[in-house]
Amino acid sequence: MKAININPIVLIIVNIIAPSMYMFLSGKFIQVFLLVFAAALMALMGRFKRLAIYLLIYGAIMGIYYVTMQIKSIEATGLFLIVLVQCVPCIALASILVSKYNSAQLLSALETLHVPRVLVVAVTITLKYIPTFRREFSYITESMRLRGIGFTWKRPVKSFQYFIVPQLFRCAALAEEVTAAGLVKGIDAPMNRSSYFEEKFTFADVAVLVVFAAGLVGGIVWKHM
Amino acid sequence: MEAYVKKENVIKADNLSFNYEESEEGISDVNFDISEGEIVLLTGNSGSGKSTLLKCLNGLIPAVTEGDMKGLLSIEGENYSELKMYRLNQMIGSVFQNPRSQFFTDNTTAELVFPMENYGFSKEEMKERLESLCKTFGISELMDRNIFSLSSGERQLIALASAVTMKQRVLLFDEPSANLDYGNAMRLGRLLKKLRDKGYTIIVADHRFYYLGGEIDKVLFMEDGKLKLCNSEEEFKQGNYNTRSFDIFSIDIPFPEKRQASEVVASLEDVRYKDILNGVDLKLNKGEITVLVGNNGAGKTTLAKALCMSIKPDSGKVDVSGLPFFIMQDPDYQLFGTSVKNELELVKKDPAAIDHCLKYLGLSKYKYKHPFDLSGGQKQRLQIGMAMLCDRELIIFDEPTSGLDVYSMLNVSKEINRLREKAGVLVISHDYEFIRHVANRVVYLKDGVIKKDFILDEQSLSDLNNIFKEMQEDKDV
Repeated sequence: MKAININPIVLIIVNIIAPSMYMFLSGKFIQVFLLVFAAALMALMGRFKRLAIYLLIYGAIMGIYYVTMQIKSIEATGLFLIVLVQCVPCIALASILVSKYNSAQLLSALETLHVPRVLVVAVTITLKYIPTFRREFSYITESMRLRGIGFTWKRPVKSFQYFIVPQLFRCAALAEEVTAAGLVKGIDAPMNRSSYFEEKFTFADVAVLVVFAAGLVGGIVWKHM
Repeated sequence: MEAYVKKENVIKADNLSFNYEESEEGISDVNFDISEGEIVLLTGNSGSGKSTLLKCLNGLIPAVTEGDMKGLLSIEGENYSELKMYRLNQMIGSVFQNPRSQFFTDNTTAELVFPMENYGFSKEEMKERLESLCKTFGISELMDRNIFSLSSGERQLIALASAVTMKQRVLLFDEPSANLDYGNAMRLGRLLKKLRDKGYTIIVADHRFYYLGGEIDKVLFMEDGKLKLCNSEEEFKQGNYNTRSFDIFSIDIPFPEKRQASEVVASLEDVRYKDILNGVDLKLNKGEITVLVGNNGAGKTTLAKALCMSIKPDSGKVDVSGLPFFIMQDPDYQLFGTSVKNELELVKKDPAAIDHCLKYLGLSKYKYKHPFDLSGGQKQRLQIGMAMLCDRELIIFDEPTSGLDVYSMLNVSKEINRLREKAGVLVISHDYEFIRHVANRVVYLKDGVIKKDFILDEQSLSDLNNIFKEMQEDKDV
């Protein structure tokens, strides 16, 4: 089967709505629904490897949860885990958002949602920082290893400090660099922004949103029956 | 047909001055004018005001950096102070040294259309413009790729193309040669000449300018915040600034004394790694400064990583006695201390040795400053201080002089020369002048194998020069 292409807007909408639904719906239902929904969506998009990884994480957390529930003294940990596990489907979908689409595509998607420009730029810069951070993370850990100040559990705070301080300084420098990169390319132009990557909503996009909405409505009906 | 007359005063500065809010540094009484189709070199030592002037030209002063700006700066008759940033950037294209400030997206196509999207081009217009850019710069093959997977030369092309997407006619370059090997820098020089011949006005801020030799129309030389204008390359060469690097092969530096090679500190035997290293044999000796040369992508950094045990070779043997001390290109990734003194203490807790080292490097007055508050050259020196204190047998430097001015480069060479007293030193570099100052031995890596390995002296100098010529020719294909 051919992997379908999903408009990033769909993923953004789902990621905004899903977490807030916990306020209205029964925990158990939405937990299962989101899991199935996210898994199906990832499979349709052909992201099988990612799906497998997140299913494993999900399974592992649930496993630990059931174990902790058997032992009275660490029940609190279990309750924490069950909250944590609810975030996994959303994180999985968000991770596709960051990995599959480049920042220009995300920028266009947000623009079509008529989010204010300032917010769009802020979000895009944040998203841009994630891959940069990933790259720099490996440089820093490597250089800590070579300096002989690698992470040790004996002095976790000190180790963490060595790691986090250069990061903070990098952030400050990066903020300036990113601003410069945007500004010299006309990010402050008052014209209506156009998009090279903008894609029309396809049947698949609509279908995904309809299924998502139907699930939520179904949940509400079910809760009140 | 009427002869085309070059526009004068494309950019004009009249008593321009700028002072930073938080420091003494700044520029004052800057006067110059630049005509259409000129290649202008903007240079000067670190802290001379070179970057300040560049930021004034690209508008980041006052848009990002605040301070007190006086005097007039105009582009095509329009006053900078009355131009909005987005208007200015339709006239001026900027190419930064650092890929992080250069690229807003991580995809080549997205990067090229990004400015057009901001200015609201239609999809058809964008497609058309993209096609013509691909044709002009020969980058069709590079479209829709991850920018960080490109080689530095390819990245430079994308940066250049993205700077003219809005048909800007004035181009500003910030240290374009810092991350380029010799071959790519020479190619950039030819490319800039072509653009100039098409009528683009080009301003290049750089410490190295050999790749522009013979093509410079004007030099803006900054010294202590003041501008010295030279109206020709000749005039600049006759001044008292160190401009020897124009003709890098003619520099005359005494060769280091010959030494009997002593103990071996590291050795590689038939090391293979993916398709990057294809059987490398190398022995590094104590008391020797070995310079590793080769074009970007030849496997230099991979070889260093193998010595540091960061990668495990597919086959072959790596023999090092303990981890080497590795100094990477970007100091910001490798400073962890809370102060300059503390940074050195992390290496070795020996107050007397630390004081001695700080004094030697001229960093004593920065002892209690945070390492990140130092300038680029000072950070570089601090790292050398760390190398001086460490008890490792092998010290590796990856491009220690990229972005350093001539005088800082000379200081670094002097200090690296001292390091060989206590250890073996391996330096990765494509800075010819610097290589001449430090190298005892030259190792030329090409396509993952060592093509040449010789002691540098009067007889073998021509070998080194030939390597550089060969590296340049590889880029002509």
